[in-house]
Amino acid sequence: MSPGEIVGRALAAGMGGIAITDHNSAMNAPAMAAMARRAGLACLFGMEVQTAEETHTLALFDTVEQALEMTEWVYAAMPKRVNDPDTFGDQPILSVEGDGDEIVDLEWRILAMGCRRTIPETAAKTHELGGLYIAAHIDRPNYSVVSALGSIPSAPDGTPYFDAVEFSRTANADEWMPRAEGYAVTRSSDAHNLDDVAKVWTEADIERFTVADLKRAFAYRLTKPSPRLTRF
Amino acid sequence: MTISEVAEKVNGTIAIDKPGATVNFAYASDLLSDVMGHCGDESVLITIQNHLNTIAVCTLAGIEIIVICHNRPVPDDMAEAARREEVAIVTTPMSQFEASVALSSLPPSTK
Repeated sequence: MSPGEIVGRALAAGMGGIAITDHNSAMNAPAMAAMARRAGLACLFGMEVQTAEETHTLALFDTVEQALEMTEWVYAAMPKRVNDPDTFGDQPILSVEGDGDEIVDLEWRILAMGCRRTIPETAAKTHELGGLYIAAHIDRPNYSVVSALGSIPSAPDGTPYFDAVEFSRTANADEWMPRAEGYAVTRSSDAHNLDDVAKVWTEADIERFTVADLKRAFAYRLTKPSPRLTRF
Repeated sequence: MTISEVAEKVNGTIAIDKPGATVNFAYASDLLSDVMGHCGDESVLITIQNHLNTIAVCTLAGIEIIVICHNRPVPDDMAEAARREEVAIVTTPMSQFEASVALSSLPPSTK
């Protein structure tokens, strides 16, 4: 799916803003930013960092520059192993010009594996760069902080690492709200293909779709996850 | 050690068969980055990681058989990838420690 298609789908579904979070990389943030700006859709840029604990965590930023600086920091702690497209697929980097669907480069690093940054390190770096740090799909049996660590970690002095937690598209809120340990809850599509874009969402009473406004909404628990996706 | 011998020793069930699969080394880990870094080929991997990415890591590392502990189920996408990539899967009620002890006649896998 190309940035242009993602933006089109999000607008058609009535989304007020979206966040783009490839695995361990924001190299497609420039293309995404160009398409979103052209269409007038608010967009946050970031990545799903797979930490040393083998948990998936979301780092979200206002600007492409912040997201790319984060990418550089994550890349510096990635295994220096070349991607095997037969196993993990190609990792295209798309053009800023045109419709953003032209492949200008292929990422050689194996992005599917984790990096050596821990949750505390990644939280500190994300916050230092002015971003939001969210525990991804905490209900999933693999690669979530809850499945890997048993609960949502915080610093020894009690300071939270995470600004919010995310439910997957199928999480049963009745079952998982108690496991969210009082954190603000979001739900997002984690879309890996176009059909999944904007199938679920998060409502938030905010002025602008920015890190600062979302941070405030998270602090006051003013976010509301959409109903889950059910297939009967 | 053949796949039938592995299954017998861990008191397990062959979930995905690969006739003729044999292993000469063993490795136990639940951290796939650790498996990637340290497990060599011709190996059996003892783990609780019952998902698709385990198959990808096995393909890259040359792991022949996965022993999934605590009888964790094999999801459909994992089973499909295992068949395609010719990685055998055995499920066992044992813990990782028990399965490691049961397969202790195999030498440790290294890179």
